[in-house]
Amino acid sequence: MKLKYILFAILAFSGGLFSCSDYLNIPPVNVVQDKDLFTNTNGMTVYLSLMYSQMPFEDFKYSPSRQFFDDWLVTPGANEGASLGRDAGAAMTSEGYSRNGAYWGRAFNLLRDANRLLETLPSYKANFSEADYNHYIGEGYFARAMVFYALAKRYGGIPLVTSVLKYPDKPAAELEVARSTEEESWNQVLADYNSAIANLSVTSPKRGYANKSVALAFKSEAMLFAGSVAKYNKITGFGRKTKVRVIGFDPNTAAATSIRYFKEAYSASREIMTSGKYSLYKKKWSANDKQAQYQNMVDMFGDITSPENIYIKEYSYPDLAHGYDAYNIPRQLMGSNGYSAGNCPTLDFVELFDGFAKNADGTIKVFDANGKYLMFDNVTDIFANAEPRLRAYVILPGDVFKGEVIDIRRGIYTGDASNGIAPLRVLSGGSPDYTISGPSNYNQVDAYKATGAFAGNKSLFLDQSGTTHETVTLPDGSKMNAGGKSGPFTSDQTGAMTGFVVRKWFDPNMSQSLVLEAHSVEPFVLMRYGEILLNAAEAAYELSLAGEAAPSGENYQDIAYNAIKDIRERAGADPLVSAADLTGNEGLQIIRKERKKELAFEYKTLWDIRRWRTQHSDILNGSTQADGAYYKGLYPFYSSTTGKYFFDAGLDEARKSFRLTEQEYYLAIPGDEVSKSTLIDQQPGR
Amino acid sequence: MKKIYYGVLFCLAAISLNSCQLDNYDGPQETLIGTVVDVVTGNPVLTDQATEGIRIRMNELSWTGTAVASDFDFYCMKEGNFQNTKVFKGHYNVRIDGAFIPLVRRNQAGDTIADESKYIDIKGVTKVEYKVQPFLNVEWVGTPVVSNGVITATVKITRGVTPADFKAKIEPMGGYDDNMLNITDVRLFVSQVPYVGFRAWDNRYSTELDYSGNTFEPQLGVPFTITTKGVIPAGYTVFIRAAARINYATENIKRHNYNVAVRVDVPAK
Repeated sequence: MKLKYILFAILAFSGGLFSCSDYLNIPPVNVVQDKDLFTNTNGMTVYLSLMYSQMPFEDFKYSPSRQFFDDWLVTPGANEGASLGRDAGAAMTSEGYSRNGAYWGRAFNLLRDANRLLETLPSYKANFSEADYNHYIGEGYFARAMVFYALAKRYGGIPLVTSVLKYPDKPAAELEVARSTEEESWNQVLADYNSAIANLSVTSPKRGYANKSVALAFKSEAMLFAGSVAKYNKITGFGRKTKVRVIGFDPNTAAATSIRYFKEAYSASREIMTSGKYSLYKKKWSANDKQAQYQNMVDMFGDITSPENIYIKEYSYPDLAHGYDAYNIPRQLMGSNGYSAGNCPTLDFVELFDGFAKNADGTIKVFDANGKYLMFDNVTDIFANAEPRLRAYVILPGDVFKGEVIDIRRGIYTGDASNGIAPLRVLSGGSPDYTISGPSNYNQVDAYKATGAFAGNKSLFLDQSGTTHETVTLPDGSKMNAGGKSGPFTSDQTGAMTGFVVRKWFDPNMSQSLVLEAHSVEPFVLMRYGEILLNAAEAAYELSLAGEAAPSGENYQDIAYNAIKDIRERAGADPLVSAADLTGNEGLQIIRKERKKELAFEYKTLWDIRRWRTQHSDILNGSTQADGAYYKGLYPFYSSTTGKYFFDAGLDEARKSFRLTEQEYYLAIPGDEVSKSTLIDQQPGR
Repeated sequence: MKKIYYGVLFCLAAISLNSCQLDNYDGPQETLIGTVVDVVTGNPVLTDQATEGIRIRMNELSWTGTAVASDFDFYCMKEGNFQNTKVFKGHYNVRIDGAFIPLVRRNQAGDTIADESKYIDIKGVTKVEYKVQPFLNVEWVGTPVVSNGVITATVKITRGVTPADFKAKIEPMGGYDDNMLNITDVRLFVSQVPYVGFRAWDNRYSTELDYSGNTFEPQLGVPFTITTKGVIPAGYTVFIRAAARINYATENIKRHNYNVAVRVDVPAK
């Protein structure tokens, strides 16, 4: 027993001796050190991969409700008014409401990595060639600019953390950084993009890395955002803890600030345009050939050699794949995961395009002069001459996709059509009502319920879901399902709930068995030359509205006109006649409309309507989003007695309501971040 | 060996019991009851019930032991009163914001010009009354009548605060504009629940009348009729109330002033 004690004592004593030795005082060998990363290009590749994996790219792993790095139910377009979907309803308009929360904490992780690169790499400068060194520094600024931009467009003024915060060397309380003003935040975004532009290589040294043009392009987009907010924002206020103007601009200088930002957006866009590095994708394009123009625009999004691509996010199976095809595929082509048609374009979006008959107010023409439905021999006739860009973005009823006719039909009308067919949305013998007070779906209307004028004479047949069908015996004795194979259906929203299905971004060659979650690999185009043209046009036009003089040798009006002309020509849209078409506020609306059409489903339009401050105030079918607004669908019906088709246009049957009040342009700072900090201010008024 | 085993067991038990300390702090048991009344008439200031209504914001000032969550918010009931029965005893700042002249006014530099919010000790049942200057007074004139599913109501709108007084109080906050006084919209909200208001209205039947610039001005103080939209089906019971707002946002929200909600029975066929 005694021996044991002695042994223990010796052990304890010798342990004490060892710990006094200096040579054991080395950094842990299982942790990667600065000297491993910052001394050679392989180490830098690892470091940049770490940064890129956290980059806030709005791509196939982004949705407003779940924010970045989450690939479930990805339906770009669903909050911007371009589309509706089963899972994309009112709640989806709230940013970061589910699962991952708002984009805040993750932003500061990447910010720290970027600041660390910028602070540490200079000590290792000798290890790299000058070109490599400058590029890496540029990558640090680029990442920082991307984070600040992503934050500023969501929150306004943000904590501008521009150095590595050393904890626990300093107590946490001393390391807190308060929110700056919105103007200072945008100035920092500008400064960081400028530093990135000055340092990045002209071409990306590695596939997927940024380069000078990429930084210029994002600068152009960010400055257009800042300029628009400075011009159109109406709400401002001061933080209570800091008395800093954390949202909005000083009303006395806002106009001048807005011009300054628009000039930055303009010059950045022009630098890309004059570099000659990029051009609109026209590989298959041919003048006056709608089919070729359509095919050209279908191909451009999947072609990674496209000269229009400035920056793309690539995917690969199985390591890094996404599920866009699975979530959004037309119902009749759906894969075995059971998702489909998550992103159905609205009629409001389709009506922006050219090439079909419209009423004076711009809505689609579905009634004749007597208020009876226009009848079409084929379901495709109504859009037979539609703008090729529309067909490239949207699968219209009866269009062919993957070699199959996409069967979109709401129902079959079996009533007499010899004197034309009267509007369907009628309740108990009343008059047709296409307002919000009218019938919300076709299950309620007289023709279906055999009431009113149809008493005892059921004349409308519908499919309730993708698996339960009502069938109609046609005059020739054959049987037909009431609804199309791809919907729309009454009670399940897995079909084309608006009468349309998206086409943009689909891989046209993916076999049906592979249309599954985490199997798609089409690249997401984060930035393309088409947007640069539109940025230049809008910035130029805003500057000319503000009475600013263009740089020598350039004319704002011509730049704007030519950009819109080129975009429309490639799209096969109706051309502008001359530069004089762009005058006053209408000219601005033409430019904005072109942007909404061209950049739909690319996560751009939602930010556009936010920076224009029109999301809450634009009148949509009689209401504004401030009060709650609805979008429309176009519902094809087959008339069995005539063998013809007709279309009913009206508010979407699911009555998806979209709501945004003016103060929500600035998203709330996560509450726990505010309450645990002595400096971080909540948005004024919240 | 067995001794060591029991020893270890005893130590473990002692450690785990140590962490089982009771949370002996009493739950919140005090009650705050408040009313919001018009400083001129003494009538309650009627309001919407959520974000767009009257917000009560409490901040506890007496607790210093640990960081305390700031901005404890809740909302006024539609009759202009509020009650919170789960408050910790202590000293509080309680401010309210609604469709009335802000009680806490700050200038552009963020300095406080006026602070009419309450600093109170809450203990037992504490009652507070806020006397405010509502922007508008909305009143029923007569009783709403219903015919063929359409309700016709007569409403009178007057200012609760004179333009001169409004200017005197709002201008020092910066960014003042005479247009802030303009009435932008008058609404007749219809709902099938009594809590009818901006967050509970049936948009099939509710009416909104918009006014640009100062076009409403001549109608101030003049009773005018407003009718519901569409046809409310026979046999329905609905609740209606009228609301109006000026072109001025308190805490970044343009809020409505309301009149009292009334029940209307649409006769069965």
